[in-house]
Amino acid sequence: MNSQFRAELLKIRSTRTTAGLVLGMIGIVLLFSLLTGLLTKAPNLAATSDQRNLLGVGEFAGVFSALAGVMAVTSEYRYGTIRPTFLFTPRRPRVLGAKVAAGLLAGALFGVVGGVLGFGIGYACLAGRGIAFALDGRQVAFLLLSTVAGTALWGAIGVGVGAIVRGQVGAIIGLLAWAFVAEPLIFGLLPGLGRFGPVHAEDALSQFTTKHLLAAAPGGLLLVAWAAALSILGTALAVRRDVD
Amino acid sequence: MTRRGPSGVDDPVVRVESLTKRFGGVVAVDDLSFELERGTITGFLGPNGAGKTTTLRMLLGLARPSGGRASLFGRSYAELAEPSRRVGAVLEATDFHPGRSGRDHLRMLAEAVDLPGSRVEDVLRLVELQDAAHRRVKTYSLGMRQRLGLAAALLGDPELLILDEPANGLDPGGVRWLRDFLRAFAAQGRTVLISSHVLAEVAQTVDEVLIINHGKLVVESSLEQLTHRTAGSVRVRTPASAALAAALSRAGIRFSARDDGTVLAHGTTSDQVGDIAFEADVPIHELVGESSSLEEIFLGLTTEKAA
Repeated sequence: MNSQFRAELLKIRSTRTTAGLVLGMIGIVLLFSLLTGLLTKAPNLAATSDQRNLLGVGEFAGVFSALAGVMAVTSEYRYGTIRPTFLFTPRRPRVLGAKVAAGLLAGALFGVVGGVLGFGIGYACLAGRGIAFALDGRQVAFLLLSTVAGTALWGAIGVGVGAIVRGQVGAIIGLLAWAFVAEPLIFGLLPGLGRFGPVHAEDALSQFTTKHLLAAAPGGLLLVAWAAALSILGTALAVRRDVD
Repeated sequence: MTRRGPSGVDDPVVRVESLTKRFGGVVAVDDLSFELERGTITGFLGPNGAGKTTTLRMLLGLARPSGGRASLFGRSYAELAEPSRRVGAVLEATDFHPGRSGRDHLRMLAEAVDLPGSRVEDVLRLVELQDAAHRRVKTYSLGMRQRLGLAAALLGDPELLILDEPANGLDPGGVRWLRDFLRAFAAQGRTVLISSHVLAEVAQTVDEVLIINHGKLVVESSLEQLTHRTAGSVRVRTPASAALAAALSRAGIRFSARDDGTVLAHGTTSDQVGDIAFEADVPIHELVGESSSLEEIFLGLTTEKAA
């Protein structure tokens, strides 16, 4: 397991895909942090919950870590490296397990970068505008840890989705369409159902103040369940399906 | 039944038994059986779509057989303890991420099976890619990609090498390099299976020949036997065919009369037939050596059933 895990980490590091996703993530977090931190009216940034929404913009890292997970699987099918990969390691659950683990680790690193960046910019905006900081140390720690954990789990979700769909374009479009269109739509129409989706589970974990969300702990557990279910389904399909 | 315990020397390197693969209603591989002997180079031949690649994919555990089984050293591929140290395979010449360097491609595979980094450098030298190893694969020529694929297959220093259409897109120099390499590999007592849809491409490399068509085995023989089997016919046009036939009979040469009135003498040369006819005072109007090329034999074997 250990050697396969190291091989998967090397795959992630040895192309420019990951670096591109990190840059994209930094750009998005910068943009949304600055927009929210500078344009929101001061009274709307006074409460703890408002500040948490601002300081937690790093949650966007989850999208990018999910894309990194998708790429880790789909680029192997797209470029055919899945063949040598499975020839060297014919026990496919070992390969997929290592990819999930690598997706979790890469996702956690995305979470650290995105979380710290989002928090830093948000904090600087509050300080620069003379708004009193409302979070205590425990809340700050929880905010950062939940961003790292949530982003890590999205990495595993990406691996699962990639293994289920296999086609790179389809997996990316599917993932983005779910995260930005389908799940928000379901949540808008049927919040009682939509709050069980992975995006809203992460919002709950991050203690966002949107109505109808689950509490943080069940939200976090639900996100773990999503990551586990998709990883297991993706692995089972990778074992069953022939490789062209 | 699955055999347990260490795979013995007595097990054939490759054993394919009644292997079958159906895709929906289409039978791609149909009850195929063959074995490979240690130390031989076998050409696995057939036209495009004959089922060669599908057979290799099943042999290597990438596709699941619909029936029958394929084993290497007495076990299925997935049951081999360290498959990369027993079997090296290249299925597609283009199985690389274009943005990854040749060296990193080999490192990621070596890493997964605990092969040392020095082994990566060894195979890079072996295929003469050490100077390009740091470059991204997208800058490689097709020949370089072929050699990088071969380097990956050789990482584990395997006993058996399986190459699917390795000569595709190689220039003549590359083909010669590959032939010499495979010859040296087999001379060490190792085994090679190479597929091709062009017999001539591998005729100078292989000892044994497996020809399949429509997923079925058509010919399993040594290249020598195959060449012998159909080589050396001479077609003769003469107004005295009866006299020629008698003369050929006396010389112990097999022959057949053709519908167009010509005589076809088998297992001989035009020189010999010309001399016999001269001595028997048989006038010759036309004398054509029909030592059909391997390619014609191959086409004959693989197209007769396609019609």
